[in-house]
Amino acid sequence: MSYINRSENHKIETPVEKQNRHKAMEAIKVINTLKEEFKSPLKSMEYFYRLFEDVYCHQKSLHTDKVKVGTMCIQIPSEIIYALDGVPIRLCNGFYTDDEIGSDLMPSKSCPLVKASVGHLSSQNLSDKPHMIYSPTTCDQKTKAGATIESFGYDVVDVDFPRTKESEISREFFRRSIRSFASDLSKKTGKKLTKKNLKASIGKIGYAQSLYHRLSDLRKNKNLPILGVDMFLVTNAFFFDKINNWIEATEMLLQELETRVQQNVHVGGKISPRIVYTGSPPIFPNYKIPLLIEESDAVIVADETCSSNRMFNDRVAVDEWFVNDMLDSMADKYLKACTCPIFSKNDDRIRRIIELVRSHNADGVVYQAFAGCTVYELEQRSVLEAMEKEGISILYLESDYSPSQSGQLSTRVEAFIESLKMKKRKKGK
Amino acid sequence: MKYFAGIDIGSTAIKISIADENKNLLGHKITASGSMFYKYAHETLDALVSEIGINKEDIIYTVATGYGRKIFKEADENISEITANAVGARAAARDHGEIKTIINIGGQDSKAISLDEEGNVTNFAMNDRCAAGTGKFLDACAMNLEIRVEDLGEKHFASTGTPLSINSTCAVFAESEIIGLLGNSHSVEDIVCGVHYSIAKRIVKLVKRVGIKEGIYFDGGPALNIGLVSAIENELSCKIFIPQYPQITTSYGAAIIGVDSYTYEN
Repeated sequence: MSYINRSENHKIETPVEKQNRHKAMEAIKVINTLKEEFKSPLKSMEYFYRLFEDVYCHQKSLHTDKVKVGTMCIQIPSEIIYALDGVPIRLCNGFYTDDEIGSDLMPSKSCPLVKASVGHLSSQNLSDKPHMIYSPTTCDQKTKAGATIESFGYDVVDVDFPRTKESEISREFFRRSIRSFASDLSKKTGKKLTKKNLKASIGKIGYAQSLYHRLSDLRKNKNLPILGVDMFLVTNAFFFDKINNWIEATEMLLQELETRVQQNVHVGGKISPRIVYTGSPPIFPNYKIPLLIEESDAVIVADETCSSNRMFNDRVAVDEWFVNDMLDSMADKYLKACTCPIFSKNDDRIRRIIELVRSHNADGVVYQAFAGCTVYELEQRSVLEAMEKEGISILYLESDYSPSQSGQLSTRVEAFIESLKMKKRKKGK
Repeated sequence: MKYFAGIDIGSTAIKISIADENKNLLGHKITASGSMFYKYAHETLDALVSEIGINKEDIIYTVATGYGRKIFKEADENISEITANAVGARAAARDHGEIKTIINIGGQDSKAISLDEEGNVTNFAMNDRCAAGTGKFLDACAMNLEIRVEDLGEKHFASTGTPLSINSTCAVFAESEIIGLLGNSHSVEDIVCGVHYSIAKRIVKLVKRVGIKEGIYFDGGPALNIGLVSAIENELSCKIFIPQYPQITTSYGAAIIGVDSYTYEN
């Protein structure tokens, strides 16, 4: 018997082609689910579906003319980057493909988000590769990741970040940090921060935030006009999209939602429990838990996560419109308003969750932590206690980026949603 | 002349190979296992004997292997398909470099076998009791897509979009996933491509359990599917070797074991 190699004519994929295919397969799966699995799809969401397909299935580069400033966390003020004529690109990553690449570089028990971000950067395969990366020293894993990423040949600058936020010391500390970040970026871009350009960019980001607030208000309606998974996609797009395009698309979305509210269109079922989502951030395409929730006849009406609500909720409040005062106000906003569990005391987060439950008339909270995201795992107890005290039902889940674990999770999510429905029915009587 | 028969009774097909004293393959025959393994195995053997024009009495040693090997009571010896596969692969590849890893996808199971320099089985892994990543999985997919299994390879290369992965590892649930994709009018080609990559990923996981060593041989009926071959090569990031008759490696191995046993006994 002899050999014949039937596949002789087929080229084997390069590592980059393989990574791209794996990511495209992950991405298209989620995009198709969003497009096809739910009733009453929104026309204005098509922009966002296409954007994610372009970027993650076709590796389209969005920013060819600007200095691309990579950020490793939410605490780097985009206002400063835009003022210096750069574009911020948040490098937090949600791909299992990249998580697997990162697993060779970090301990297996690390947070999948950090592993995926490190894996992605190590592959050097980015459709919009950053010219430099600013890495706030937030949680342990992100802090250490900065040095790892530097070893891949990127220009990585640590931005000192305090682990307490109540004290004057931390406030002053982070103000100095932000000033130093601004001057570093100014040197690298060759542009100067001026009263005019900084004020303009604060205005622009503020406007984007105001759009988010309007969206959020519409989600308070009894008839919910938009699914939580779609909202996550919209806020996720803010990580990398051209800001003017994002603003335009979000304005369109708002219009469509306002019409829906007038026409009493509801994306959920008659008794669908309303959920506030909190915990480790769902970042495209890791919408595993939000999708499980909304595929199990519940709707996400609000969230308390750094990929969405936390990015948009609080605005920069300026006293005096001078460059240094504006910088200080930004430092205050990015530190004081932050509800990340890395802080020693973080009652603000609990307060915000309760606020969202009340304002959006939610029936329960789903708290999801990535296995390995220590700070969210640690804060689980205090949040659960606080919710219990308030009489708010809460489900705590641990998950990762692997696509295979949905079976066990779905049983727990479904049982939780069923229990909320039972309560709703009893209350209704 | 002395002849040696290897009879591989699988869940889907009966494969028989006949070798001469020098372990050369004289002929082979493949028929569906159907409902009566025992009867069909005998019929297949008779047909093969007359096809290659030898006397049945000259078959002096018979080795049975495969899932149904125990029912072929006339066999001189019974051997597991893992050992037979390893021996067959080494013999089939003897002029083409060393085989260190074997991937076998059968009708109802899939295996990864690791060999040492002498061709001994050092480690092997099999899928769990489940049709995911097996020939049956491909059969079910082809049926849902209303195409012939033989055409899956061609469809794979006609895919122009992103392969649509099938998340369910269960063949039964995968069916409903495929129906869902068809319902949303996705292209058959992209679905086929996704099915192949889903199987390929599972196979690569299986191979990782025994350790990926280059010199990889892929056999079993699904190795005829060039789309699946390409998907596995891409997932492994290396070329794999496909024998001329991927389905009969194990029965050929059984025939060779027959030669060795006979020589040893006499």
